[in-house]
Amino acid sequence: MLHCSRVSSTGRSRWLCLRLALVATSACSPHVGQPGPEPIRVFAASSLTEGFTALAQAFEAAHPEERVALQFAGSQSLRLQIEQGAPADVFASANEAHVRELVRDGTVVAPVAFATNRLAIVVPADNPAGVKTFDDLASAQRIVVGTEQAPIGAYTRAMLRNAEPRLGASRAAMVKRHIVSEEPNARLVRAKVELGEADAAIVYETDARSAKRARTIDIPDDINVEATYFVGAVAGAERRKGVESWIHFVRSEQGREVLQRHGFRGSE
Amino acid sequence: MSRGFRNAPRWIATALALALVVIVAVPVVALGVASTPADLIAGARDPLFVPALWLSARTTLVSLFIVVVTGTPLAWWIATGPRARTRIVEVFVVMPIVLPPAVLGVALLEAFGRQGLLGPLLEQLGVQIPFTSSAVVIAQVVVSAPFYVESAAIAFRRVDVDLMLVARTLGASASRAFFRVAIPVAATGLLGGAALAYARAIGEFGATLLFAGNLSGVTQTMPLAIYMALESDVRAALALSWVLGAIAIALLFAIRVAPQGLSGRTRARLGGGPLQ
Repeated sequence: MLHCSRVSSTGRSRWLCLRLALVATSACSPHVGQPGPEPIRVFAASSLTEGFTALAQAFEAAHPEERVALQFAGSQSLRLQIEQGAPADVFASANEAHVRELVRDGTVVAPVAFATNRLAIVVPADNPAGVKTFDDLASAQRIVVGTEQAPIGAYTRAMLRNAEPRLGASRAAMVKRHIVSEEPNARLVRAKVELGEADAAIVYETDARSAKRARTIDIPDDINVEATYFVGAVAGAERRKGVESWIHFVRSEQGREVLQRHGFRGSE
Repeated sequence: MSRGFRNAPRWIATALALALVVIVAVPVVALGVASTPADLIAGARDPLFVPALWLSARTTLVSLFIVVVTGTPLAWWIATGPRARTRIVEVFVVMPIVLPPAVLGVALLEAFGRQGLLGPLLEQLGVQIPFTSSAVVIAQVVVSAPFYVESAAIAFRRVDVDLMLVARTLGASASRAFFRVAIPVAATGLLGGAALAYARAIGEFGATLLFAGNLSGVTQTMPLAIYMALESDVRAALALSWVLGAIAIALLFAIRVAPQGLSGRTRARLGGGPLQ
């Protein structure tokens, strides 16, 4: 009930309790490090799972007095949770749009870009549809992508639009027809390939790298899109010392190095 | 003084019971009053709404049909068959009642998925289950069948064996005795079980999301559309919730109120009929 008092400016206040109840069930929060006082609560895009877990370990080693609690989900789900007053100190989104919305209603402060990523195709290890290059994508009968609200889904749609001239109208349409499921975050998209149920899935390069029982097919540079990650403090937490130093650490030389080890690229 | 003390446990009990009523009733009431008609109309116009409604209607009718047609003979066998064997079968059939839906979703993938137990066989037959509406139906059948079979078996157990024997001695065949005696006598239990099973099927979420996937018009049933709409247009989630809520109330009516009239009629028919 506490969270229900935090009403967003959209005038949806009467729905809040219902929405919060539904939202609360969709998250899990793995904790990193030793139990200590007041962890820094970081809500991060699902594609940051390994990168931020490693980052949190490095951060706690450098700041023994701090503790980081990570929670991963699709950026759009995290945004919804933060809008409804979920207890977060930091939001790391896989695109700018979801952060911008939170900045507009004053929930997130001063977001900055800290990494970039690109898209790749993953296919099961036994590659049942025989997808060898990007141009074979239409031969995959079961393609899984992200929902339109999930950053991975939005980037995928942009990439497929870029690919239309290359694939030709009929093959581009075939790719769209072969989409059999839309999943709410990049990791769930990838899971359909890891389970062997999908012939191909479009995920981030970093997801493809860390995938189990899957092969990566590169997407040509001229049609690929750049995903930019943003990190910002949740209003009210921005001046907490730990929060400041976490955001600083994410963008530091050491932080960049950790993320690069997990396949992320730098951002200007 | 002593009177007050003696009454204390009763007050505590009342308070506890009232707390439960409040915690159960408030969300239902909140759903009812939370949205304006304009919100609901806007929600119903969302592109997710109609395909989800239509898909849920189709798949639940198919799964209910499958559950009743296969569950009725199974329940009869469980009620009248050799106890040692029926017990084992019954345990398997009711298992999904206690299994978490997410576990069922994984189990269904392990059974019918491409890498699953039956995967190679299905592949040879050219049948694909995950990501199709068939997967939605299978998930619904698995989660809802136990509710029907259990109520039907309980109802069939109450059918008087002598009544069946009399029907047979009067020249009715076994199947005629089943349809003219056992079914009418057990009708209340059968309908109640079917209503419960339908409620469970139309609300199925976890197993469907894992096993069937999520695509509007193919596998995105109303509960999945509610989940997805929360991230796009909350009004669509509300409109779909209203529809599911109304169906739930109708089913509750079918379970609680309708059987009384029905059993009365059945009793009258059997009581005044030639069988006694």
